[in-house]
Amino acid sequence: MPGAEFDWEYEMINFEEELKKFQPSTEVDDIKEDIYNRSATDVAGVFEQMFAKKEETVEEE
Amino acid sequence: MVMVCYQCGCHLSEQDYCTSCGADVSLYKKILSLSNFYYNEGLEKARVRDLTGAIECLEQSLKYFSRNVEARNLLGLVYYEIGECTEAMSEWILSMNVEPKKNIASDYMQRIQNNPTRYDAMQQSMKKFNQALEYCRQGSKDLAVIQLKKVLSLSPRFVKAHLLLALLHIDNEDWEKARRELNKALSVDRGNTQALRYLSEVEKMLTPDDIERNEKRRKKEDSVRYQSDNELIIQPGNLVEGTRSGFSMVLNIVIGMILGAAVMYFLVFPSNQKITQEEANKNVQSISEQLDSKTNQIQQLQNQITTLENAKQQLESELDAYEGTQGRLKEMDQLFVAASVYLETKDVNQTAQKLDQVRENVKLEEQSEEFLSLYQTLLGLVGPELSKSYREQGYVSLRAEDYDAAIESFTKAVYYDSNNAEALLNLGDAYRLKDDSVNAIAAYNKLVELFPDTDYALKAGNWLGRLDGMED
Repeated sequence: MPGAEFDWEYEMINFEEELKKFQPSTEVDDIKEDIYNRSATDVAGVFEQMFAKKEETVEEE
Repeated sequence: MVMVCYQCGCHLSEQDYCTSCGADVSLYKKILSLSNFYYNEGLEKARVRDLTGAIECLEQSLKYFSRNVEARNLLGLVYYEIGECTEAMSEWILSMNVEPKKNIASDYMQRIQNNPTRYDAMQQSMKKFNQALEYCRQGSKDLAVIQLKKVLSLSPRFVKAHLLLALLHIDNEDWEKARRELNKALSVDRGNTQALRYLSEVEKMLTPDDIERNEKRRKKEDSVRYQSDNELIIQPGNLVEGTRSGFSMVLNIVIGMILGAAVMYFLVFPSNQKITQEEANKNVQSISEQLDSKTNQIQQLQNQITTLENAKQQLESELDAYEGTQGRLKEMDQLFVAASVYLETKDVNQTAQKLDQVRENVKLEEQSEEFLSLYQTLLGLVGPELSKSYREQGYVSLRAEDYDAAIESFTKAVYYDSNNAEALLNLGDAYRLKDDSVNAIAAYNKLVELFPDTDYALKAGNWLGRLDGMED
């Protein structure tokens, strides 16, 4: 807004808010758990499942 | 990336169907192509060190086709480059799971495992970073800074650590340090949006265009800051010297002096007086305690004097008893003299004289057992002969009708030998002849009592009968 005083505090980086964006790094000891927790679903996998179901339906018919 | 049929696993050609099994692979090929496209994008970005962008593309690629080994390996490499070692290892492990053979991921893993120092540094840097993050959340920012510096000494390319350290510097308004950290982060990951955002804020604080803006903030904090070379100088606002007129300066000096004098008068002097008074009170208290102590000592000494005086008097009285003319030492001496006379001369009369002196001067009932024993021994030695002598003297006196002398001699004879019944009979006779019937009866009765079946007792009995008849 022309003529309005610049809101300096609003412009500044808020430490607390920024800190929330930092997440703890996975430690080496927890690597196994990290791998297991990952979602292995991909689009190609979905496609394969869809095709497999379709094949089954055709065979049944 | 080599495309294979999802149904039979054969290599796909340019056709939209599998040349081996005939399956429709048009859509499948599009999916794989998209995955490949994002991989290529990621690769391009990684080459220009836009690692954040590369990560986004590669993750997208893997969302389309998770078995894209190249994309996964590259993602692991990018993670490794920005210091996210565990993320990198996770990607490589997954990659090895998809393609166990001829996979560069296994080479990467082997290199890490063959370097225990590096592996340990990775572990430590992860732990220390998490610890630093915890410190930040607890508000221990200084500790967090120290911890992050340790992390970066172990893993200098750890972008997340650089960013957190920069954030802490920003929070501390240490703009130059923040900029340095952000530049380090950006030298690793040129496209890190977080770093770029922080840097833009920091640059605003450090560029001359924003001095006016900064002034507002500085005034709020009542301080002055300015850039000198690479150093940010912070000067408290109250030290800023404005242009003041000479009059106001003099007025301020005068007011200051008055205030100083007032402070001295109201605060310093009473304080000093109070201190002096407290010291005096302490001295008085100390002297009073000393006085009490001395008084107690005097009292104790007086008690000791009293006790000692009592003891002295007792000892003096005992000493008088021993050393006086009537004292026990004298008595002992008299007895020793008697014993000495008998032992040296065997003279019964001289011994008797000394024993008489003892008997006259000494209260036998008050003497010690040893004294009495010696006395009785001497008396036993000289007694019978002496008794016989006194009886003879008494008998002479009785014949001469000197009854008093006779009574005295017979009394001594009885004293020195209580078995001398004849002397006792003569004593009764002497009293009787002196017309002292009371003592005469007493002597005769004693004789009858002590020597009942003797001639002396018979005679005494006769005289007792007569004297009783005379009295009646």
